[in-house]
Amino acid sequence: MSWKIWSLKKSPWVFHVNTGACNNCDIEIVNLLTPKFDVERFGIKLVGSPRHADALLVTGVVTRQAAPRLQEVYRQTAKPCVVFAIGACACDKGIFTTGYHVVGPVDKIIREVDPNAIIAYVPGCPPKPEAIISGVVKALSVL
Amino acid sequence: MNQEELNNRLSEIEDRLEAIEQPADNRIWLTCDAENSYAVNKFLFEEVPLRFVIATGIDSDDCFEVLYHYAYDQTGSIITLKTKIHDRENPAIESIAPFLPGAEWIEREIHDILGIEFKNHPDMRRLILSDDWPEGVYPLRKDTDLEAVKPGNGETPSRPGFKPSPPKGAGQTVSPILAVGPFHPLQEEMEFFQLTVDGEIVTDIDVRLSYNHRGVEKISESLQFDQIPFLVSRICGICSATHPLAYVQAVEELAGITPPERALYVRTIITELERIHSHLLWVGLAGHFIGYDTVFMWAWKYREPVLDLLEEITGNRNNYGNVKVGGCREDIPNELIPKILKELDQIEKKTEMLTKAVLDDPVLHARLKGVGILSKEDAIKYAVTGPTARGSGVAIDVRRDDPYAAYADLDWNVITQTEGDVFAKAVVRLLETFESIKIVRQALKKLPEGPVAVEVKEIPPGETVGHVEAPRGETFHYVRSDGGNRPVRHKVRAPSYVNVPSFKASCIGGHIADVTITLAAVDPCYSCTERLAVIDNNNKVIHDYDTLLRLSREKTAQIKKELGAPELKMEDI
Ligand code: SF4
Repeated sequence: MSWKIWSLKKSPWVFHVNTGACNNCDIEIVNLLTPKFDVERFGIKLVGSPRHADALLVTGVVTRQAAPRLQEVYRQTAKPCVVFAIGACACDKGIFTTGYHVVGPVDKIIREVDPNAIIAYVPGCPPKPEAIISGVVKALSVL
Repeated sequence: MNQEELNNRLSEIEDRLEAIEQPADNRIWLTCDAENSYAVNKFLFEEVPLRFVIATGIDSDDCFEVLYHYAYDQTGSIITLKTKIHDRENPAIESIAPFLPGAEWIEREIHDILGIEFKNHPDMRRLILSDDWPEGVYPLRKDTDLEAVKPGNGETPSRPGFKPSPPKGAGQTVSPILAVGPFHPLQEEMEFFQLTVDGEIVTDIDVRLSYNHRGVEKISESLQFDQIPFLVSRICGICSATHPLAYVQAVEELAGITPPERALYVRTIITELERIHSHLLWVGLAGHFIGYDTVFMWAWKYREPVLDLLEEITGNRNNYGNVKVGGCREDIPNELIPKILKELDQIEKKTEMLTKAVLDDPVLHARLKGVGILSKEDAIKYAVTGPTARGSGVAIDVRRDDPYAAYADLDWNVITQTEGDVFAKAVVRLLETFESIKIVRQALKKLPEGPVAVEVKEIPPGETVGHVEAPRGETFHYVRSDGGNRPVRHKVRAPSYVNVPSFKASCIGGHIADVTITLAAVDPCYSCTERLAVIDNNNKVIHDYDTLLRLSREKTAQIKKELGAPELKMEDI
């Protein structure tokens, strides 16, 4: 394991990107910060800029308008940066697959700018906060 | 006016109409020529006067139709004006936005998706399609080949969606622009706002949608009637009970289905539980924006038990998928009732504490009173709904005006405040939470025995509307069926669609330190404040989101100091 990956796994800071979600995945992510789940006790922290992020928590289908913005946000992160596709929408466009304004899913859009991106998937509609925590832990433990 | 007087009033313009149909007492359909549409709309909005709900554009093969939906809240009526545009080559109709600012967005949207020109519209820029969407391709026209416009397939430059930033070094006359969005470091959806500022004062505001446009109305045309509730509950996660309910009620009205009594009660209980957790969520966010992070943490902690209850009833914390045409999917087991009642007691106690903390806090009074005022006149002009309207003294609530589910059997109050400022909206939401608790308690007590669904055979051809009171205001659905198993047109109007444009009235003239909380006060589905950046004349970023949030919080701290208020301590609560 390179030292970069090793350092990534301790206290990951995350940046949240909504690319056309119904809000539930997003609310569940914010929920992680609140007293019941409180992920800050593991050192996981939501940060205000992609430049500070070790991981992106991406929700939503990636709409046509959001796609270039998602790529720009990813470009601004320090690499390596783990991309978490949170929810059925982010994993595979969910119920919105046939939408004319939908160009996702997340992995396809990210891979357009970085074919070697590290992408982890947390399915669910929305995934329960416990599922998101477990997804993050599992992903970090296989890195 | 009662229903009869309303009917008489409407018949005053009979000579301009082609037809008046009234399938039910409070559902009225008017038809007129495209030439007469401006005059009739003006009459409906200004003379009767009706509340504008939304317009629907339809491609019906030989012509285009534009439907204007209005509501008359005293009798719970929905009045729809139908017009046909026969020229398919250059479809055009007179815009109603000059006298009805609440229609500005929807006309832009119809232009985007169907290519109908609105003559004399003040601002025909793109609204919901992406910047790189090719010009002249209209996704809701039946003959559009959507495959051909996939990204990379012959893109053409398109209209700009928002005002361009001032050119570099453009001199002193250009006002600084404040860009808001599209990403927010804390939460929620993307949204892009451009504020023009003069010093600290906001002089203009502009919004760009599209980031979250998923094309739900088009997807809906490809789904069967019983699949659609799952789709529409995913329009907005936190209105995931009300969207399907509005749709289902519309379809039930068309098919003449009456769901069993128990289903009506279950629907009431679930919608009200949703309102409780949604209002608590808002209180938390509002606290965060003005620097009360403790309020944020508490409010979100207290909404958790509600989500757990919903999970126990429906199987999911959000996106319950519990209503269907003809009733409900899941029943509330009788054994669960004592537990729900017990939880409600707890939730009520906590909400009381929160409410007391807000209402008794001199700092919050000083910080929120007189901020972001939406006057009653503006509230009517922009046709806002829900707590945004009720906070400005417009006493409308679909639950009372056009009762559905079990609301007519229960005893509760519509909460209104007259001031129209952020504080008034906060009070409305907090007090409404108690009403919701009251409603759930009564509904649980009265919960009748019996099945929760009836069998549905087929949906007849025709058109229908349904509306319900979501936490943020009226959710409205229009469905047209041709007798098949899918709708030919399904129009959705979420409450934020009319509430958000009222920023023009409430933000302009305000202070930039108040922008975050004023935008948040309407509780827009995307909690709007996203990432902010103030850009000066040379396009240099001088403030970013963090600065604005800090400005907002500093103002609170300043007021605290001036008032000599002690820091809030755990023991005080
Ligand atoms: S996965 Fe489900 S909950 Fe998450 S954004 Fe998509 S529809 Fe909403």
